Amino acid sequence: MRKLILGVLVALLAVLFAAGASYAQTRRVSPSPTITPTPTFTPTPAPPSDLTQKTEETIGPLEKLLEEQELGKVWPASPLKYAIRSAIAAQVPVNTIVLLLLLPLIASLIAAARHIIGLRGFGIFLPAALAVTFVATGPIVGIGLFLVIVTTATLIRFTLRKLKVKLQYLPRMALLLWWVVIGVLGVLFLAPLINNSSLSNVSIFPVLILVLLSEDFTRVQLGKSAKVAVNLTSETLILALASYFVLTLKPVQEYALLNPEIYLLVIFIFNLLLGRYVGLRLMEVWRFRKLISS
Amino acid sequence: MKLSNILGLNARTQIFSYRYNTISGRKICDSKIQTARVLKKVGIPHPEIYKKLKNPSDIEKFDWQTLPDAFALKPSRGLGGEGIVVVKTRTKGEDAWITTQKNRVGIEDLKLHVQDILEGAFSLGNVPDSALIQEFVGRHKAFRKYAYRGTPDIRIIVFNRVPVMAMLRLPTKESGGRANMYQGAVAVGIDMATGITTKAYLHGEFISHKPGTLRKLRGIKIPDWTRILEMAVEASMASGMGYLGVDIVLHPSKGPMVLELNAQPGLKIQLANMAGLKKRLERVEDLEVRDSVHGVKIAKALFAARFADRVKAEEGVKTVGVWEDVRVVGGDHKKHTIKAKIDTGAWKSSIDKEVAKKLGILDKSNVLWTKVYKSSLGREVRKVVSLTFYLAGTRVYTIANVAVRTHLRTPLIIGRKDLKGFLVKAE
Repeated sequence: MRKLILGVLVALLAVLFAAGASYAQTRRVSPSPTITPTPTFTPTPAPPSDLTQKTEETIGPLEKLLEEQELGKVWPASPLKYAIRSAIAAQVPVNTIVLLLLLPLIASLIAAARHIIGLRGFGIFLPAALAVTFVATGPIVGIGLFLVIVTTATLIRFTLRKLKVKLQYLPRMALLLWWVVIGVLGVLFLAPLINNSSLSNVSIFPVLILVLLSEDFTRVQLGKSAKVAVNLTSETLILALASYFVLTLKPVQEYALLNPEIYLLVIFIFNLLLGRYVGLRLMEVWRFRKLISS
Repeated sequence: MKLSNILGLNARTQIFSYRYNTISGRKICDSKIQTARVLKKVGIPHPEIYKKLKNPSDIEKFDWQTLPDAFALKPSRGLGGEGIVVVKTRTKGEDAWITTQKNRVGIEDLKLHVQDILEGAFSLGNVPDSALIQEFVGRHKAFRKYAYRGTPDIRIIVFNRVPVMAMLRLPTKESGGRANMYQGAVAVGIDMATGITTKAYLHGEFISHKPGTLRKLRGIKIPDWTRILEMAVEASMASGMGYLGVDIVLHPSKGPMVLELNAQPGLKIQLANMAGLKKRLERVEDLEVRDSVHGVKIAKALFAARFADRVKAEEGVKTVGVWEDVRVVGGDHKKHTIKAKIDTGAWKSSIDKEVAKKLGILDKSNVLWTKVYKSSLGREVRKVVSLTFYLAGTRVYTIANVAVRTHLRTPLIIGRKDLKGFLVKAE
């Protein structure tokens, strides 16, 4: 089993590198760096931009950086760099590549937050998805939508329990979703009143992720006390906000794009090390402080 | 205490839970139905299962009126005690019961709850689950004064067939009669050697009395303690789990019963006992333990509480001389007086081979393990036995190594390890 997985991984890497190499070859056939016109980029103070969308404001500087970077030979140091360039030449948006490259980083950060600090959150996927959602909607609208959804879900659950409406689990969840959708729609209907561009520009996928979150939230509520649910939710929000901050940090974006090989290798090794950490978590040191001081 | 003595979540999962537990063992622990099946096979007492409900059709087929006055309805794979309905009495003249939280539930309520369970509302990841209806275990008279409404349970961590730490969980008014600590149940540490409670812990504070009352939580003697410990080890052997938590309840008439097994037992037990679990686990990791009796013997010798604080508080510090008469408990459970030297230069106590043999301490059942000792006299293989003695009226449970001491002045030396709470007067 382990060999099989390893084989698949190697094959995947080989494909990636092959793509990079082939692009490098085509480039070498026509070595004309002056052909590409210098991007007419003007640093205007852009309105809140959406990194998940292909817009001119965010494409400009990152592409320019790629153009400016001088590349050496394909092997061994820069197969991914060439692959990225070939993908961008084939109209793949640079933002997508940056976000994809940064996903492992925030996943590692969330893992580290759990194993070294002790912040739990709802698993690893949820905070990461939430962070990407924040990138798409802007943090304020994102948190707003998240809170609206969580409050609706909690209120409905509470009301159903108070009114002693006894439903089976799946219909109950479906009803919950019904209300959550009404809540989100309500917020979107408010957009013309508030006249907030980032609110009216919200695309369906971030909203969908947020709606899906409500199921996990109620599931946790169902299993645990309200206090635990609120703690987990706030921890998730903290993790998502921190991840959002990392995702939008320009130096991080640029480093990942310009040095994908080193960047990915470092994250890989970091995760291997993190997985072997068996010491106490920071929050456990606090939890056991009486034991330690005795 | 050193940080490295404390067991954290990372170490629990990686060093102990993953390394010493099999997948099949974990499956047994996760499912109450499987647990009951395995326990039944080896004859360990556990609450009887009246009915298993696996499909929605079982709900309609089952004759609910045949249920007794008291029972517990549980999800087989529930998490953290959620989804459990415990009823104690039946209402008169109708088909309804009163739960331990004083709510009324009818047959329709129960059916709906079982439907929830079957659809996985209480299981990890909402996978479809089974429900079971189990015998109600009431409160044992030993705990009547200390527990509020519900049934207290005893959590024992077993590792490598040795019970390493134990606590008693007492339901309170705040926890609504449940023995779950995050709901507000009190965690009470237990001395492994005697089964007497030591410290009580609630919401980050040590408490001395049951909340709202004047009942002391220290010094509760748990009945059948040795049997409870042995049962925990037997349960760990039956499930094939190297590291697990065993929850035991005391049935008012039938005695101790294994309620459930936990593959990832919580870590708060360390606070209730004021002791680091990691140190204890490392202590027994490499031992070769024959059976449950041997494992319990090791536990009692290694993890006995010293009661030093209490002795100091209640009787003052005891002073002993260099030469003392010590009463040693022999294999016949009688006390034999022998001469001992109080030796602060030694760590462990040591007893003469001939004397040990004569007192019946050297029986195979009493030998914990053998160890190679290096001293100024070279290498020597010594047996290590469990030893109980009275020094200046204080009972000490400990371990001692067996050596040839015939040419020395006393057959027993008592080391620093066993002198906590004493003052040595060198005259």
